[in-house]
Amino acid sequence: MRAERIGGSLVGIVVVSHSAKLAEGVVELARQMGGGDVALAAAGGIDDPESPIGTDAFAIKEAIESVWSDDGVLVLMDLGSAIMNAETALEFLEPPADASRVLLCEAPLVEGTVAAVATAGIGASLSEVAAEARAGLTPKIEHLAPAEAAESEATPEVARGRSIVLRVGNPLGLHLRPASRLVETVGRFDAEVRIANRTTGSDPVPARSLARVSALGVRQGHEIEVWAAGPDADAALSAISDLAADDFGDRDLPAAPPPPKAETPAVEPRSEGTVVGVGASPGVAVGPARYLRRPALEVPTGPPADPEADRQRLRQAIDAVRADIESQREQVLARAGEAEADIFTAHLLILDDEHLIGSALERIGPSTGAAEAWQAATEAVADDFRRLEDPYQAQRADDVEAVGRQVLARLLGVDPRPRMEAPGVLVADDLTPGETATLDPEMVQAIVTAAGAPTSHSAILARGLGVPAVVAAGPLEVEEGTPLLVDGTAGSVVIDPPPEQVAEARRRAEEDARRLEEARSRAAAPAVTTDGVAIEVAANIGSVEDARAAVEAGADGVGLLRTEFLYLNRTTPPSEEEQEETYRQIAEALGGRPLVLRTLDVGGDKPLPFLPRPPEQNPFLGVRGLRLGLAEPELLMSQVRAALRVAATHPVRIMFPMVSVLSEWEQVRTMVGEAAEQIGGLPDGLQIGVMVEVPSLALAADRFAAVVDFFSIGTNDLTQYTLAAERGNPELANLADALHPSVLSLIDRTCRAAAEHGRWVGVCGEAAGDPLAVPILVGLGVTELSMSPVAIAQVKDVVRRIDASDARRLAASALEMTSAEAVRQAAAAFLGT
Amino acid sequence: MNSVGLEEVLAWLREAAARIEEQKEYLTQLDSAIGDADHGINMNRGFKAALERLEANPPEDIAAALKSVAMALIGKVGGASGPLYGTMFMEMAKAIDGKERLEAADVAAAFRAGIDGIKARGKAEEGDKTMIDALEPAYAALQEAVASGAGVGEAIAAAADAAARGMEATIPLVARKGRASYLGERSAGHQDPGATSSHLLLAAAAEAWGS
Ligand SMILES: Nc1ncnc2c1ncn2[C@@H]1O[C@H](COP(=O)(O)OP(=O)(O)O)[C@@H](O)[C@H]1O
Ligand SMILES: [Mg+2]
Repeated sequence: MRAERIGGSLVGIVVVSHSAKLAEGVVELARQMGGGDVALAAAGGIDDPESPIGTDAFAIKEAIESVWSDDGVLVLMDLGSAIMNAETALEFLEPPADASRVLLCEAPLVEGTVAAVATAGIGASLSEVAAEARAGLTPKIEHLAPAEAAESEATPEVARGRSIVLRVGNPLGLHLRPASRLVETVGRFDAEVRIANRTTGSDPVPARSLARVSALGVRQGHEIEVWAAGPDADAALSAISDLAADDFGDRDLPAAPPPPKAETPAVEPRSEGTVVGVGASPGVAVGPARYLRRPALEVPTGPPADPEADRQRLRQAIDAVRADIESQREQVLARAGEAEADIFTAHLLILDDEHLIGSALERIGPSTGAAEAWQAATEAVADDFRRLEDPYQAQRADDVEAVGRQVLARLLGVDPRPRMEAPGVLVADDLTPGETATLDPEMVQAIVTAAGAPTSHSAILARGLGVPAVVAAGPLEVEEGTPLLVDGTAGSVVIDPPPEQVAEARRRAEEDARRLEEARSRAAAPAVTTDGVAIEVAANIGSVEDARAAVEAGADGVGLLRTEFLYLNRTTPPSEEEQEETYRQIAEALGGRPLVLRTLDVGGDKPLPFLPRPPEQNPFLGVRGLRLGLAEPELLMSQVRAALRVAATHPVRIMFPMVSVLSEWEQVRTMVGEAAEQIGGLPDGLQIGVMVEVPSLALAADRFAAVVDFFSIGTNDLTQYTLAAERGNPELANLADALHPSVLSLIDRTCRAAAEHGRWVGVCGEAAGDPLAVPILVGLGVTELSMSPVAIAQVKDVVRRIDASDARRLAASALEMTSAEAVRQAAAAFLGT
Repeated sequence: MNSVGLEEVLAWLREAAARIEEQKEYLTQLDSAIGDADHGINMNRGFKAALERLEANPPEDIAAALKSVAMALIGKVGGASGPLYGTMFMEMAKAIDGKERLEAADVAAAFRAGIDGIKARGKAEEGDKTMIDALEPAYAALQEAVASGAGVGEAIAAAADAAARGMEATIPLVARKGRASYLGERSAGHQDPGATSSHLLLAAAAEAWGS
């Protein structure tokens, strides 16, 4: 008897047991947990009604044949004769079944089968399915003997379940807000999820504890590994990887602002003149200084009357505060939108944090009451945060303290809400979100805080309220009612300002607002310099949705499609059809605008699970970009074919990353030729170009210009490789600047060579979206600027204001300068800002 | 008897099946001490099926007869002894394929191949308290008899005696393979059921081919 295969190209699974009931029960159990398409068969018991317990090699043989898949069959067995009969069965398999593609797996029968079915269901390979099956006991071990499981160094990585590695792109890393989104997401799934910071080599922590996750100190560019086990493991992992792709919901935040000044030295309080802080919410406002009065919280010490009653009181207080925060959350949601309200969700998660609550409840005892225990527990967690190197993470201590205060106030029966007596400029050390939320927006004309950072919740909330804010202004010592001029754009506060200054500030604020408004309204129009040079202002994108957003934002095209999104966080490479379909959707979303598609650009720093590569000492100087493509020609060919198919009907240009020498170009050009032949010819007018990231290419630009159709300068890497300075290293911030004359000189060289051969040059690094860089790049001869969609309106505005021949003179003088700083000053003077 | 043909082989198999049926309770009882109390039931089911097969499809030669038994054991025994003895018969069949009659040396060669098959499948060695502990000494004795020029009957009788000693020698052993190994030290003090059935098979041959 041979059953039809149901499962596409999924691994088939056979369950062998002495008991027919057990085998069928296991099959039923595994079926319930997903993997509906997986071909699954039971081979249990023997054909003897009087003594039905045993195993039957021929029944096993038939079961294997009934689920046969060319991708292989995994056999899970109970004990003894089950194993020997399964082995025997292999000797009798009839084609197409083939013993070399059957794996008899030692995994535990029930857990192993469940894990195997779940994994097979996502199209994993036979060995991957087997690995998951073997790891099937982990959740049980961790549940029943978590301490041992954690201690046991020998626990293999796979034993934690499936895992994925993600790179955190958030400018601020996994600070409280994204971390809370992660915890929230995990909470929706029935899965045991653990997470570790691979970059710092941390141990995995449970992903349900906000405190633990935040305490991993994950910063931008760090790699995290996420393990999941349990029924929803796969769903949880894919949701987490989507969340990461969306920068954990932080997409709307601009690039990382400069880190807040670490440990502001004790500053004398200011009572006159102009105070410079950090602008955290733009705009200008003038009003009388107002202070908030917070109630003092006296924590009683000493033995409680009844520890159990105190535990109860603490729980009640937490519940009450939770209700308060929830209603504040609703208010802010209505007033300022989802993004702003998320902060409260983060605070709610702190209140749900088992680690924090558990340790507070534990501290309550014969000699320690609820208030004291709660205070000690929150302080301990806040201290953990404070110890983190990362200033953004360290700020999270404030969140814990703020929530802590609210609960404490409840326990003590005090109204924790601060009050403002009358409308004016709110002056405070720092504000908690709770405090900010209780503020009446009618009363608050502006906010000035002594501490805090542009990423503080109070700053974010101020932006949501639309009032100007200056943070990190240092302590102010002004009488309540003293007039203050708050310039949230410049980040300054003038104490008792003269009327002319007030008028000037108002005028500038209006001018800025008008300019931005106008730029937005003209974002979709072409950008042409005053002397008629058209500059294509395009978007860098990494998904189909991005393509739509780019068009919305006014992009003239896409100057960089990062195709990595198709490859990351999956266990098998995307099929050619999937790639083609995605590229086609993007091209269609662009409605005829040009699309520069960059082929897969990964390297040893972000290995692909389906493409294991030996570890490299220095992945940034290793097998990455096109080097990897040439090392894995099948992967690249498939991508090129998919791109060519779409290029036949859409203006798609293909760009290869990380090319350093001409022979690489020659090899890949041959591959493109072959790929074209396979699909029936090179599309008419197809442009194929290189990304200029490696100085050796820029230095040989004249050779390349003869053979490529275009250049696109990846200023980020070109700068790093030219100045040997990593961009993420704050100590090297002034070295790693794309406007350094040495980098500009390589761009100049590229542009000259391109002009001679009639090729165009674009820039797709961050410099393209930097207003100060625009006149320089245009002056050097760049005609396409590709950037994050948010920058498009402004960059177009800059282009429209400049004269290209003036810009050429500016660029020529920039090449003569000796520092990026000098170039920036010259550019700022040129733009008159 | 100096050599055996298909008739003698069939006689052996019938004798073996009869003895197993007779000893079914005993084998099961041995298995109940250190296993799951089914060895006699398993073996009896297997050999009954083997005889039915032989009757339904009379074999053309010795190899076909042995193969038929192998398939019946593999398909019907249900316990560990199924694939093990099944493999043994299958390997023996291959070793004497095409032969009309078996000399003592052929029997020894076939027996060797059969034991090797069991070892390959079950990964047991002598001393693990399994059928191997009866079979290996039996082979050694068989081989010795062949070397000294004994006929099939004499040689197989020597082998059956050695198997009996090997079987008894499993009593003090601690099981390292099969179900009994789950008992660890507690498996000592009991005779291994598989070694006992192995002895039965050899004793049946000695009976069938004696004189
Ligand atoms: N791995 C092995 N190698 C050799 N013989 C084995 C092995 N496992 C079990 N046996 C033999 O099989 C006998 C048990 O057979 P049986 O009861 O039919 O199988 P099961 O143990 O599956 O119930 C044991 O007494 C032992 O002699
Ligand atoms: Mg048994």
